[in-house]
Amino acid sequence: MRYNILIGGSAGQGINKVSQIMSEILTSYGYFTFNYRDYQSLVRGGHNFNVLNFSDTETASTDFFVDIIVALDNHTEILHRGQLKRGGLILKDETNYTNKNLNLILCGKITKIFGISKDILVQIVKKHFNSKEANEAVLMGYDSEETKFNLKKLKNKLTIMSGSEAVAIGAKKSNLNFFISYPMTPATGVLNEIAKIQNESLKVFQAENEIAVANMALGTSFAGKLTMIGTSGGGFDLMTEAFSLQGISEIPLTVYLASRPGPATGVPTYTSQSDLNVALYAGHGEFARVVCAPGDPIEAIEKTNELLMLSEKYGVLSILLSDKHLAEGEYSENKIDHKLTPIKISRSIPGSKIVKASSYEMNINKNSTEDSLITINNVNSRLGKIKNIELDVSKLVMYKTYGRKKSKNLIIGWGSTKGAIKDSIRDIDAKFLQIIYLSPFSKEIEQEIKKASKVVLIENNATAQLGSLIKQKIGIEIKDKILKYDGRPFFADELNKQIKKMIK
Amino acid sequence: MNTKDKLKTKEEITWCPGCPNYMILEAFKQTVAGFIDTKKCKQSDFAMVTDIGCHAKIFDYLNLSGIYGLHGRSIPTALGISIANPKLKVVAFAGDGAVYSEGMEHFIHAFRYNSNMTLILHDNQSFSLTTGQSTPTSQKGFITKVKPKGEENEPFNPIRIAIACGANFVARTNARDISHMTEVFTKAIEHKGFSFVEVIQDCLIFNLDANNKDKYMYKIEDNYDYEKAKKIAEEFNYNSKEGKIPLGIIFSTLKPTLQEKIK
Repeated sequence: MRYNILIGGSAGQGINKVSQIMSEILTSYGYFTFNYRDYQSLVRGGHNFNVLNFSDTETASTDFFVDIIVALDNHTEILHRGQLKRGGLILKDETNYTNKNLNLILCGKITKIFGISKDILVQIVKKHFNSKEANEAVLMGYDSEETKFNLKKLKNKLTIMSGSEAVAIGAKKSNLNFFISYPMTPATGVLNEIAKIQNESLKVFQAENEIAVANMALGTSFAGKLTMIGTSGGGFDLMTEAFSLQGISEIPLTVYLASRPGPATGVPTYTSQSDLNVALYAGHGEFARVVCAPGDPIEAIEKTNELLMLSEKYGVLSILLSDKHLAEGEYSENKIDHKLTPIKISRSIPGSKIVKASSYEMNINKNSTEDSLITINNVNSRLGKIKNIELDVSKLVMYKTYGRKKSKNLIIGWGSTKGAIKDSIRDIDAKFLQIIYLSPFSKEIEQEIKKASKVVLIENNATAQLGSLIKQKIGIEIKDKILKYDGRPFFADELNKQIKKMIK
Repeated sequence: MNTKDKLKTKEEITWCPGCPNYMILEAFKQTVAGFIDTKKCKQSDFAMVTDIGCHAKIFDYLNLSGIYGLHGRSIPTALGISIANPKLKVVAFAGDGAVYSEGMEHFIHAFRYNSNMTLILHDNQSFSLTTGQSTPTSQKGFITKVKPKGEENEPFNPIRIAIACGANFVARTNARDISHMTEVFTKAIEHKGFSFVEVIQDCLIFNLDANNKDKYMYKIEDNYDYEKAKKIAEEFNYNSKEGKIPLGIIFSTLKPTLQEKIK
């Protein structure tokens, strides 16, 4: 079973509250959920909607066609009617959208339609709004509907987590000391999440711009603090010169890059995978880097830890590449305590020793030099560590495969498309290869591709940037591509049809 | 070995003969040696960040921890060190070209943050390492290869900007006066919060017209009065040698430091 509920309204009407409350109700009932937020860059008005998907098996995507439309305004019904499946329901308020607790009335209605007990509804709403009016509103909604689907309670123990929350958890469990950032959607989520869990040894600092962010971070890291910075495309561009300083000075630095559609301001509150190339190549000069793109919150927790570890161990720039879809998508995950290795800083730091780092090439005394032999040695040493990084990273999970493992049809994707690809190939004879580390690049991927007779590349961008990387690394050009670049993520039902067309 | 010798490195000094940077280096060594000899801190407790420019070569001539940073970015890098380890004495060295052009946003915000660190700004009213272009403090009319008809803009007054931005400590000193520099650097480093020291310095190769201002300079008493500070800031406008050039602590006050605010 797999249901999709579209909840729409204008900004400020509380549609996020509806999907939040419904996600909590459904996960506490043991159902897997995934919530997609589609919103515009405004604070009031406009049209925003969420699609809440739930299933009795794992889900990490939504569908284009939905079972229920929950309309908080008249506009929602008009805009989305075409997405309603045959026999689907439209839930709205009969009071002509004037009730200020309309979102709660609608929560009551949905709960009743799925036959979930009133107690769970009341209990969860109380966590959000502890008032008599809120309680009355949900009950009014609940009592006004008939049960149409009788959901059985399942035994899954689930929790809801966004990609942003996951990065914050990973950072904290790694013993991060500083998260320095300048607000930019969709990276701001991590800034907010870490701000919530600050303490004496973990501080958030909002600097005057991203240039300051990156240079300050090199300062805090140099002085012995585990440091991470976060940004999106435009801010990442501003940081570029400091990445180059990282490259020569080898001061550890981890960057969280949450991408969105560019160029420039583009479609700022939507999603895109168009920043893989800048992650791989930003910064003048030649230096080592690690680029890793987790595909869901659990991977985001683990990979945040791995990147902080790699940066600290090798003095290398590491980039955790995410996007709006992963950052703001709300996933249900099994409740487990993720044990990570806290990162210890054992290098020399000012205060105990004299330590010098520089944007110039340095001689043996750590002062500037323009000597040709020293320059060659320094370059070789900085690039030489790539071999050691590759060896270390090869012991980590660099890619994963899903679906029918012996299938000759291979689907390749990376990052946040993981959810939609996994959910779309259930009835297809295909294997899905998710590439997680983009730099270094696993040598095993070549074999995976060569084993397949049909390869389809799926990316949320217009130029197939992973495709270019594969061609560069192993000389294979993937001709069959499904590319989407309208700022929206892939929908599982849409992708299912597209893949079937390609591998029929 | 005396303390000042311990601060030396083996590097060949590549400033032009007679460059006032030698005197700034000497004054800074005396300042640091003063802290070490009076047991206020150890040599490893200092951290410097240098910008890019002639001034920044000081990085190679001092046996102290630090980062030789990017052009215009010495302030945020030093600020990072100062919040990461509040026990360090953090000093950023920068030039008028770097900070007032490329890094002006950091300069303005530094006063608002008030992190416990010192900015020593070498102001020779010229981009010298890049062979003599005008900077935001160059006098109007300064003829360069880029501006054959002369710089068309009036200069900034950084002291006035600093005071307007809520500065915690603003001072001016003269690169030809080692003992005054040492006194001012020491006070700046000891001051709690962000301390800004402008060092007026000649460049012997470029912008010769701006040189030899010593006879207009006079020393003031340490000033703690905001209204008076604004008046002192107006006395020298960087544009001409008319008027007087006050040297000393132009404004000093105590505001909560960034380290205290984010504790």
